Amino acid sequence: MESPETLPFETAEKIILRWDSTASEEAREKMIFDGDRQEVDRYLQAVDEIQRSMSSASISDDPKVNCALQIAMARLEDEFRNILISHTNPIEADSLIDPTSLHFTTPEDEEDHDQQQQQQQQDAAADSSSSSSFSSASKQRHLNDGDSSEADGCANLFRFNSGDGASSVNSSYRSTSSIREIDLIPSEAVYDLRSIAERMISSGYLRECIQVYGSVRKSAVDASFRRLGIEKLSIGDVQRLEWEQLEAKIRRWIRAAKVCVRTLFASEKKLCEQIFDGVGTAIDDACFMETVKGPAIQLFNFAEAISISRRSPEKLFKILDLHDALMDLIPDIDVVFDSKSSESIRIQAAEILSRLAEAARGILSEFENAVLREPSKVPVPGGTIHPLTRYVMNYISLISDYKQTLNELIVSKPSTGSRYSGDPSTPDMDFTELEGKTPLAIHLIWIIVILQFNLDGKSKHYKDASLSHLFIMNNVHYIVQKVRGSPELRQMIGDEYLKRLTGKFRQAATSYQRATWVRVLYCLRDEGLHVSGGFSSGVSRSALRERFKSFNAMFEEVHRTQAVWLIPDSQLREELRISISEKLIPAYRSFLGRFRSHIESGRHPENYIKYSVEDLEDAVLDFFEGTPVSQHLRRRSQ
Amino acid sequence: MSAMMDDQGSSVMFIRGNQVHSMDGSSLELELETFQRQVTLRFLELAAVGNDDLLSLAWMRKLLDIFILCQDELRMIFFNHRAQVMKPPMDRIVSDFFERCVKALDLCNAVRDGIEQIKQCQRLLEIVLCALDQKRIIGEGQCRRAKKALADLANCMFDDKESSAYMALRNRSFGRNTTIKDLYQIHNQNSNYQHRSVGHFRSLSWSVSRNWSAAKQLQAIGNSLCPPKSNDLVATNGLAMPVYTMSSVLLFVMWALVAAIPCQDRRLQLHILIPRQFPWSAPLLSLHERIMEDSKKKERKNACGLLREIQQIEKCARVINELVDTLQFPLAEEKGEEVRQRVQDLSHVLEALKDGLDPLERQVREVFHVIVRGRVGT
Repeated sequence: MESPETLPFETAEKIILRWDSTASEEAREKMIFDGDRQEVDRYLQAVDEIQRSMSSASISDDPKVNCALQIAMARLEDEFRNILISHTNPIEADSLIDPTSLHFTTPEDEEDHDQQQQQQQQDAAADSSSSSSFSSASKQRHLNDGDSSEADGCANLFRFNSGDGASSVNSSYRSTSSIREIDLIPSEAVYDLRSIAERMISSGYLRECIQVYGSVRKSAVDASFRRLGIEKLSIGDVQRLEWEQLEAKIRRWIRAAKVCVRTLFASEKKLCEQIFDGVGTAIDDACFMETVKGPAIQLFNFAEAISISRRSPEKLFKILDLHDALMDLIPDIDVVFDSKSSESIRIQAAEILSRLAEAARGILSEFENAVLREPSKVPVPGGTIHPLTRYVMNYISLISDYKQTLNELIVSKPSTGSRYSGDPSTPDMDFTELEGKTPLAIHLIWIIVILQFNLDGKSKHYKDASLSHLFIMNNVHYIVQKVRGSPELRQMIGDEYLKRLTGKFRQAATSYQRATWVRVLYCLRDEGLHVSGGFSSGVSRSALRERFKSFNAMFEEVHRTQAVWLIPDSQLREELRISISEKLIPAYRSFLGRFRSHIESGRHPENYIKYSVEDLEDAVLDFFEGTPVSQHLRRRSQ
Repeated sequence: MSAMMDDQGSSVMFIRGNQVHSMDGSSLELELETFQRQVTLRFLELAAVGNDDLLSLAWMRKLLDIFILCQDELRMIFFNHRAQVMKPPMDRIVSDFFERCVKALDLCNAVRDGIEQIKQCQRLLEIVLCALDQKRIIGEGQCRRAKKALADLANCMFDDKESSAYMALRNRSFGRNTTIKDLYQIHNQNSNYQHRSVGHFRSLSWSVSRNWSAAKQLQAIGNSLCPPKSNDLVATNGLAMPVYTMSSVLLFVMWALVAAIPCQDRRLQLHILIPRQFPWSAPLLSLHERIMEDSKKKERKNACGLLREIQQIEKCARVINELVDTLQFPLAEEKGEEVRQRVQDLSHVLEALKDGLDPLERQVREVFHVIVRGRVGT
């Protein structure tokens, strides 16, 4: 503020003394900068005059000048504080919504995505007989978190700008948002603040200026934090919360962190520059750190708490989300916190990122271990798909969704079973045959290997060998279907291995047939029925009757038993029935054809020839439906 | 630096002091013995300080150094005997230990906050120094400036929940003759003052929620901490013992940190139980007693933290404030000399703070890392 003439010292002194808040009530009650513009100009002029006097040798030792300067500085400090306080509204919602921008994700999108995830995990939990390691997946998940209405409200206020990037349907939250500062304080106020700051700093009252600035702006940032829903959670709090609650908080944190770094902190930095740039060395830095260091640490403490929480499989995907969000933010963090004094914040962010990566790796290991050691021995009724299979396949489907991130994080092969260890409790796998595959893909294949290994163990708990084979067939078939159904998964697993899996379930089907039908069809064999000599034209009627009786009994038993078994996949079910029929029906037809006359020529043929070919054909349709049939097969009416 | 480890935490050699030890073929017994001995020796050394150095910044850093060394050594023992560590009952014992460690993490964060608060005080003192450390003759203006800063400092040091009283001071202004005692009085009387603004001087809030308590956290760390039972010792081949030792070390270190550094709900009278029968008990007990004694002294009862440098700040501020009250202008020669002396004292205090606070903050962070690392590795 320059004016053409300078004030004489006495006048200046009078003005200063008039506004001494320790001296008069009036001076305390009014604020100069709230009032008349002319008054402001005069006051500043007066201050300038005092300062001039201070630097001029002859008057500088004059106690009056000395005193006047301190009074002026104290007054300016109060004015500075007052201007700042009148503009400490927390970030207004409107200023953050840019109507021209694309929205990368809306809270609805994000909730859909989460719902998809949850749905998949719910599928995995369809059966109740899952073991404790996966019990959290089998808990009923709430499709809508209790938090969703808050999230809506919050997100509606604070949708972030996605910049120019086209959004992809990438579920790993990579976004193209960028730094966007807003003006926190109107420019007239900034001008006034700057006028005051210049004078305080040139009089050596720099520290007071920084103190006042920092304390007022910091409480404004705190208020914005509350608005953004950033909580003060301790590590202990985070440990005690249920994971589902934490997931909601993570989601909210990701949204809030983006706003904080890219808008809130960036704007504070800009404000410091507006007021203090050029007014001394690195003062804007000092003010900025005073303002945001505490809040920034508080913000990152939450992500840190998540990164060090106990590892368990269901946490993987949210941790990856958090990892991706933070990774996306770090370039902006580095820009906003670029000074030497803010190094600790950059360091902390980098540490958290690397811990999250470690956590993801650790969780994957945990998961693999858990799959291998999943101990439930209760056989799934009907030989159908085991909940473990569902859970694992859904899990690795999700992993393939996150493959972009995981490919970067997973850099080494699985650690167990990579050699022929001779340890019967782990499967063997030669990883050399998987040359050329990414470590992540090898992990996925490994997971399928150990899943099968575990399932093989479980199949042994069935008393009936046929059912064991059916069980394996069902489950491996399910694996194949899941892989086929996901392009990413298929690409990673590879057709080579897929072929092997297909072979395995086909072989299980064959084993099943052998186990069940060989002995049934054995009843319909030719050998042993013909006798040489005697009355009947070479066929022993008693032997024949035995055969029919055995066949009927066996078939009835198999029919009754295996109707209750289940092949969930309709196509597979059909195929197996057809395969059974192809062997059974012609054999029976031919047997009937050749030998019925022998039975019908004796007494009570209906006791032996109970079923027509059509009856058997119908009966085969009952197999693997998963529902019991009535005691007696339909028989044709004689 | 006590150990060289690769990423997997496997160690081939470690260097302590000037000696190189190799880990192959060491008997478990020797390791356990060495561990106990090291803990004892280190704490004996720590306890052998004069009262002036106890709870100083330098001493705190030595304390944290010891913690980090011991924790790393324990981790190495775990690694060397990892098969045993994973079997019961050792797995449960180790898991309990890590649970205690995790509780310490929040204390590390709170202490980091507290160090920030001390830095606030440091910045205010720098104003006082700036005001009075003049090449020119000190005038009334400078004194008023110093007093203002001292008043702010008084509030900063107060472990108070109501900054509203402070606002009363701020908005009222005080004349030359207000002493810190007066400020304390006013503070106590005006707890209902309506303040008009958000912009309190001192940061309003800790970064923890209102119901978080350092005292409760300490209690949780010490919860049901007791020496290992003899059947546990036998079942774990003695491995339960270093775990118990380290738990006690953890408890003591955290307690000392909370005693020294301001944090929310410090309640120092909280007793921690230190067992009597171990070789390392004596130095810990002695330190504990001395610190408790210190806390009971009249002038330290309301201190926001027992850190020696905080005491120095209080003393310095009080002395300067009293001195400034007696000053008449123009300044007499001897008064001027006295001021210069006090200002020199002040600058010493500030030096110590400038040199000591940042390294302490970094070390607290290192403690945090060491605890997290240890937990994850097993």
